[in-house]
Amino acid sequence: MHIQELILRLQRFWADRGCLIGQPYDLEKGAGTMNPLTFFGALGAKPWNVAYVEPSRRPADGRYGENPFRVYKHLQFQVILKPSPAAVQDLYIESLEALGIDFSKHDLRFEEDNWESPSLGAWGVGWQVVLDGMEISQFTYFQQVGGLDCRPVSAELTYGIERICMFLGGYDNIFDLVHGEVKTDDGVFPVTYGQMRQREEFELSAYSFEHADLDLHRTLFEAFEKEGWRLLKDHGHFLSAYEQALKMSHTFNVLDARGAVSTTERPGIIKRVRDLACGCAKAYLEHEEGKTPAAENAEGAEKHGAASAKGGAK
Amino acid sequence: MSATQTFLLELHCEEIPARFLEPLTEEFRTAFSTWAKSQGLVSTTVGAFFSPRKLCWHGALPVSQPDQTETQVGPPQRMCVDESGQPTIQGQKFAEKWGVGFDQVRFEQPAGKKEPCAVVTITKKGRPTVDLLAEALPGLIASLHVPKAMRWGKSDFEFVRPIRNILCLFGDQIVPITVDGVTATNTTWGHRLYHRQHAAPITIATPDVYESVLEAAGVVVSVEVRRSRIAQQLDQLAAEAGGRVVADASLLDTLAEIVEFPKIVRGDFPASFLELPKEVLVTSLREHQKSFCIEGPDGALLPCFLTAANRPDDPAGFVKAGNEWVLKARLYDARFFFAEDRKHPLSDRLEKLQALTFQRELGSYHAKTGRVVAIVKALATRLSKDEAHVEHALEAARMAKCDLRTLMVGEFPELQGIMGGEYLRHEGAHEDVWMAVKEHYRPIGAEDAIPATPMGCLLSLCDKLDTVAGCFAVGLIPSGSKDPLALRRAGQGIVRILWERGWALEPAELIDIALKAVGSKATRPAADTTEALMSFFKDRVAYQLESTGYAGSVRRSALAAGWENLVDLKARCEALSAFAEDPRFASLAQSAKRIGNILKDEHPVHAFDAATLQDATEKALAERLMGIEASGDQGTLLAALADLAEPLEAFFNAVMVKCEDPALRAARLSLLHRLRQAFLRVADFSLWQ
Repeated sequence: MHIQELILRLQRFWADRGCLIGQPYDLEKGAGTMNPLTFFGALGAKPWNVAYVEPSRRPADGRYGENPFRVYKHLQFQVILKPSPAAVQDLYIESLEALGIDFSKHDLRFEEDNWESPSLGAWGVGWQVVLDGMEISQFTYFQQVGGLDCRPVSAELTYGIERICMFLGGYDNIFDLVHGEVKTDDGVFPVTYGQMRQREEFELSAYSFEHADLDLHRTLFEAFEKEGWRLLKDHGHFLSAYEQALKMSHTFNVLDARGAVSTTERPGIIKRVRDLACGCAKAYLEHEEGKTPAAENAEGAEKHGAASAKGGAK
Repeated sequence: MSATQTFLLELHCEEIPARFLEPLTEEFRTAFSTWAKSQGLVSTTVGAFFSPRKLCWHGALPVSQPDQTETQVGPPQRMCVDESGQPTIQGQKFAEKWGVGFDQVRFEQPAGKKEPCAVVTITKKGRPTVDLLAEALPGLIASLHVPKAMRWGKSDFEFVRPIRNILCLFGDQIVPITVDGVTATNTTWGHRLYHRQHAAPITIATPDVYESVLEAAGVVVSVEVRRSRIAQQLDQLAAEAGGRVVADASLLDTLAEIVEFPKIVRGDFPASFLELPKEVLVTSLREHQKSFCIEGPDGALLPCFLTAANRPDDPAGFVKAGNEWVLKARLYDARFFFAEDRKHPLSDRLEKLQALTFQRELGSYHAKTGRVVAIVKALATRLSKDEAHVEHALEAARMAKCDLRTLMVGEFPELQGIMGGEYLRHEGAHEDVWMAVKEHYRPIGAEDAIPATPMGCLLSLCDKLDTVAGCFAVGLIPSGSKDPLALRRAGQGIVRILWERGWALEPAELIDIALKAVGSKATRPAADTTEALMSFFKDRVAYQLESTGYAGSVRRSALAAGWENLVDLKARCEALSAFAEDPRFASLAQSAKRIGNILKDEHPVHAFDAATLQDATEKALAERLMGIEASGDQGTLLAALADLAEPLEAFFNAVMVKCEDPALRAARLSLLHRLRQAFLRVADFSLWQ
């Protein structure tokens, strides 16, 4: 199955089951959980179902495009279901069936794998889902995000897109995967993952292992942190502040891939990212709680009124 | 005896982590038994089943509590009945209180009362067990202690994983309980894949068909059955491949815990991966794929593996192909690490150990390496006069921790030591050196062997000694159940090496050397540390005697006669064990005790004149004393002591030690004193029972 077909089927499947189809967030990040659709979506009481693709960067996993299984950047398909439905495991299995997996011939296991993101102040319990011996998904019941209890609890499903594609097609090399087909007047041209991404893998690996300016990254880390706290404290802006936390996290990953962070420094640096992320989570919830329906209506009416006024002046 | 029915409770959950299955099952079993007893429900033992999605308990219980009669004592007779024999108001109130007519009130004088009182006997009807179960079970379930509890959905209820179905029966009756919104029925769910074809849940009409109905629906609920089926299939498939399974009991347990219907599948991997060290393959297969390796008759691995599927068959070969595919990816990674790590000599990592903390006060692994080298230097010359040996031992000590900075150990921490050894071997290091590095973490547990080579033992001993002494010196001392750094295990390793190698290195000396190496990093006074370490090692030695299997009498009496020289202690224990069944020993022990009592508060001198002695029995003893004092080895000495049993008995029968004649009395006391000194060379027989 082509990569794009797999993504389209998952999107169709989850849209049909009442999920919003979201988009990747346009900042570097290590996992789909960091997307605000999940980070803020998992907080608070409002119902929230969303599914989206997230390109995820792990600088230390870069292999210059030479390793057939490991890459600097891979695609995650992320689903958040809040509150977690009673039949969530069955829903997940049906989504695999929608990809053409016939469970009369395959082995499926849910093996304990608890998830924790120290830089987001988030943790949950769950499983890695193992199909015929391969981990194809991570399944988590969020217990805390941004240092705050999740009430209700969200279920998070994360599919490894490339892995599932390789597995279904029996590919031995990630770069041989077919992303999709380009059809022109001259014919049909399949485009491989390698054609789309191999050079990118090479350059990004070289960047994270060789060319990244470490002093610059250290400076950037400090600057993003300062900027984040300024936004949060002086303006109460948790979304723009959260972006700074994401930038800190990626900057840290670049430094870490180079071995520029010692084991003793590490927890302290992660804590600095977490503190900002937790600050954003708290500010978000305070904002949500303060936003009573009446206040929201008033705000809407006010905007509407302003627009009319504008219209009137025209 | 009232009729009984079988009780059955099954909590059907989403996949429960394997490590919690047994503890949870056991905890509930205990709590349930205690509760049943408290309700007067004498049960047969509570049985249990578990599988990844099921926790289940069952057992026979009486259908109701026994009726209970109670006697209630009320006011004195004179206050209950008036002069005309009519009940008073107080008398009637007493009857009303217990729900009986006044005619049922008797007047008796209960024990402890001075006069007859109103008495009624109440029969409390035993309640139906099903009602008691319905009331108690939700609380028993909710109070299970779950180490990593979770919440799900909108509820605040916490459990190990979401509870999705409850089956609860007492005979063919459903016990009506509800836990977190899930109400019990007489149905449950079989294997997940079974229900892709069968939409409805399965019915369990009575508890006795539980196992068989579930097996038909694809779930073997007994972990023992699953384990034995897996073991049998493993052996069969390995034999078919021309080899035997590389045994791993904990992996077998894990597999039995993570599947509901086990099927062992054999897969193959490209033979070119066999160039990786055996330990790497075994670890990678175990950690990443929960798979067993197969070794040929020569011990070398075959290019195939065995893993468990959670279904009865592999109809399209997908399970085999999938596992092979994943394993190839894993081994590819392992080969990448193996190649990358060898691009630079292992010694390049020595400096990098500075950035790796061993312990906050004690510093980095680089600092630890320095201390271990110093300890090796002090001890190596004691054990070998060969300068090359000493040089090799020092080289091994310098290299021991370098592999902590390799990619392979980063990926598989349990390969520490092993990889260092392998990399050194590939670099052409001397066999003594790479073997020592490879084995220096051993013995890893009580089941594991000590290093096979003397140098491996030396390095292991020095490394562990530094860990133990270093931690004690900065106040990290295990207490009670708290031993986060596993210092007791390290200490046991030290004792086992000394014990099994027969090295005559005494703890006091080892401690002294190790604390010198710790030097100024110590935060406690050296004297305190030494005292704590001596007591720590004495406990380890006592445990060593116990795990070696010596009888309690041997251990107690041998230890009391000195524990620091392990070589000597071992010889004494061996000799004592050989004599333990000898009836003369019981008599000897009696006499030894008697000697101890007699010598209490006495201060006999060593020398005495044998001519002073008068009785034939004491002259005989004095003669034997010379022989005993001259015996060199423990065996001869013990034989001589055993021969002493009879003469000693005769002596005590014939002689009053503390006689009037001061010279004679002094000589006798000296004789006994000298005998006791001889005994104490082997054991304190007063502790022999």
